[in-house]
Amino acid sequence: MKNTVLAGVLAALLPTAALAGEITVYTAYEEDEAAAFLELAKQAMPDIEVNMLRLSTGDLAARIIAEKGNPQHDVIWGFAASTIVNPEIADTLEAYAANGVDAIPAAFRDGDNMWFAVTGYMAAFCVNTERVEKLGLDVPKSWADLVDPKYKGEVVMPNPASSGTGYIQVSSILQMKGEDEGWSFLDQLDGNIAQYIKSGSKPCNAAAAGEYAVGASFDMRAIKNIEEGFPMVMVIPAEGAGNELEANALVASSKNKEDARRFLDWTLTPEAVNAYYDWKAIVTVPGGSLPERFRSAGMPEDTNSILYPTDFQAAGKDRDRIISEWQRRYEN
Amino acid sequence: MTDQAVAPTPPVRRFRIGDRSFALVVSIAVLVMMILFLVIPVASILLRSFVGETGWGLENYTETLQSGRVWELVGNSLAVAVLTTILSLSLAYTYAYAIQRTHVVFKGFLRLVVMTPLFAPSLVQAQGLIFLFGRNGAFNRFLGFDFDIYGFWGIVLADVLYTFPYAFLILSAALAASDARLYEGAVVMGAKPFRIFRTITLPSTRYGIAAAGFVVFSLTITDFGNAIVIGGDFNVLATEIYNKVIGQGKFGLGAVIGVLLLAPAVISKLLERRIAKRQHALITDQSKPLTVRDNRRRDLVFGLYTYAVACVFMAVPLIVLLASLVKLWPYNLAFSLKHYSFDVQNGAQPLWNSIGVAFATAIFGVILVTVAAIVSQKFRTPLRGPISFLAILPTSIPGMVLGLGYVLAFNSTANPLNVLYGTFPLIVLLYVYYNHAQGFLIATTSLKQISATFDEASTMLGGSQLRTLFRVTLPILWPTLFGVGVFFFMRAMVSLSAVIFLITPQTQVAAVSVLQLSDRGANNQAAAFSVCIMLIVLGALLLARCVLWLAGARHVSLIR
Repeated sequence: MKNTVLAGVLAALLPTAALAGEITVYTAYEEDEAAAFLELAKQAMPDIEVNMLRLSTGDLAARIIAEKGNPQHDVIWGFAASTIVNPEIADTLEAYAANGVDAIPAAFRDGDNMWFAVTGYMAAFCVNTERVEKLGLDVPKSWADLVDPKYKGEVVMPNPASSGTGYIQVSSILQMKGEDEGWSFLDQLDGNIAQYIKSGSKPCNAAAAGEYAVGASFDMRAIKNIEEGFPMVMVIPAEGAGNELEANALVASSKNKEDARRFLDWTLTPEAVNAYYDWKAIVTVPGGSLPERFRSAGMPEDTNSILYPTDFQAAGKDRDRIISEWQRRYEN
Repeated sequence: MTDQAVAPTPPVRRFRIGDRSFALVVSIAVLVMMILFLVIPVASILLRSFVGETGWGLENYTETLQSGRVWELVGNSLAVAVLTTILSLSLAYTYAYAIQRTHVVFKGFLRLVVMTPLFAPSLVQAQGLIFLFGRNGAFNRFLGFDFDIYGFWGIVLADVLYTFPYAFLILSAALAASDARLYEGAVVMGAKPFRIFRTITLPSTRYGIAAAGFVVFSLTITDFGNAIVIGGDFNVLATEIYNKVIGQGKFGLGAVIGVLLLAPAVISKLLERRIAKRQHALITDQSKPLTVRDNRRRDLVFGLYTYAVACVFMAVPLIVLLASLVKLWPYNLAFSLKHYSFDVQNGAQPLWNSIGVAFATAIFGVILVTVAAIVSQKFRTPLRGPISFLAILPTSIPGMVLGLGYVLAFNSTANPLNVLYGTFPLIVLLYVYYNHAQGFLIATTSLKQISATFDEASTMLGGSQLRTLFRVTLPILWPTLFGVGVFFFMRAMVSLSAVIFLITPQTQVAAVSVLQLSDRGANNQAAAFSVCIMLIVLGALLLARCVLWLAGARHVSLIR
């Protein structure tokens, strides 16, 4: 035990400068998926030592912005596209057309190759069946259902001011209904919301724990909570699900760009894409097929049919304005 | 020795000169450390408040202060902090009084149990409260109650539990020192117990009360963990920093609120001198330690009170333990150990890392805090003012702000200490300075009660100030300092909000693993990981207890 502690301390004292054959990857993939992907990456590139730091999107964004003067990482991997376009982060990137990037439809990558997204996630409701039954409610099928007064105080959703998932939910409603109708719908919805929770995954966890009947969250969180055994179903809103891309990018200051590029190329290999299909409902590259556990949780085979065609450019551009309007309406 | 033989100067004078330059050198060293590891990091982030989209200016301030929103948040934060301070102080004072001034039984247990909120990451404390009092918590689900914990009262409850140990540590140290002669005099003059309490006990613990009040208020107003998990839609200043910095990546606007939060530290600094002036030393050359008289009725009343409080404090760790041992809380209560096979990144390694970090933090924390306390209380140098202000400043800085400040300061290649970035030593320093105020206040509370007559006496006898320090002050103080070390150890095992920005793939700590597990919805596994952390803290306490025992200090308690 003492030796392990000592070894850890000594290792940390060694210079952290990038060594040849070593790269540092920052990721916001959920901890278990990131670990699974990393395992494959290490097998595919045994000569590269891949150090991975995993933090939630918001924490990681703050970290990247704070380290901007002297970035410690070589690659950003699986990080919300709506956040990677924040100028404070976008400025640290360098264009790179990864091998096979053409397989990704143009909507899911940057026109100047600053970033590309191989995976994504979509808005989904987590509905606690035990609680729904106890309160004599129905499982809601759409956003429109959620404004029914019978759900009053039983719905939680993420706060768009602190959660990217919250923001894509609000912005997709505004995009699909238009601003006027959209805001008046959100006004109605607000009457039923018990809490705007400050993270995107917590509303689903709260519904899984039976604290509330319905938690607006995202697909993967719902599927994993169902697997854990919680009495829960996943509902993709019938209007179409707002969605977010998880982008990969090369960091301009990297001292080991050769290996960083190899890593980015790897994220598009059939082997990586196959692994994505095991963990992700939105994979932008054709290849694998939806695993059984997704289908049994209620995910249709053709996920494109349920996605709302999000205008990512507009969502990024309007972010500040929409958030301050949202706060003005619902947080005072 | 040779010195003396060659040039026999009068010893008193020689020591005095040595004293003065010694005091100055040590003071400068303390101040330099504080500047390097506190002022520069904090300034690096708070100066961002003056950087707007168009360059330097007050843009962020006008934007923040002109919105009605910020004033509402100030109101919310004050309401929570004032109420928490009143409740936490009164409850903890009564509890500490029971421990120090009555014969309640099993004091060791009672001391330990109120420390439990420091044993696990605050995230887990809040989760434990939801397991208990949530809408689907144990009380509602199994006992048919109908609580809704989310909102103002939930935050107050969580914050009282969270701040109670700090208040208790300081107040207990204050109540531990006493001079029996005062009490004997009062009894001889026929004073009633309540009058004695009001005219002797309360005034003699004035500094402790002020210090505890300041710590509780500052911790509450800067805490966002409880507000985020239990606050529901009740927003406070600390959650607004979270919105701006973590939610939207806007450091400038977050920093404005960080600056607002410094106000309590500045105000308390202005008040401190007035309060400290009225604090008289309790332990003088002539004082006699107080022996608590027998009084069965008093012991019964205080006994009932302390055990009621102890039950509340036991509830959270017990429910966390329970949740870690069942298949799926609260749906499947079948026994299972599966949550203890951690499948989080690096497995159990972060636990070992944390033990190393916590030991280092305990040692460095005690040294740095003790020196700072002595420098600010006993050395009359012009630096004592700035030092005592900076010593308590960290309580007013949210962990997130300090953590990001460390990134900005030490990741910069312009900083010669850049080599520390990404290493465990920097994490240790972060923990020391993040918790500096509480450690410092515990030490000074004890120090203030030791009379200056000791210094005068030993000076007259030809002893140097330094000699007095080692021969008189530290021997009286050391049990308190040992307790400060234990406190630093616990904090370094569990603090999360600051360290999250400093960890690297090679330097993972245990609290972060708990966050990773909780983030991915594995609450039972997060509970299991926390149970391991709690066991380590308990083990460390036990070990410290043994060390004290072997050192012959059998009647000294670790937690006063």
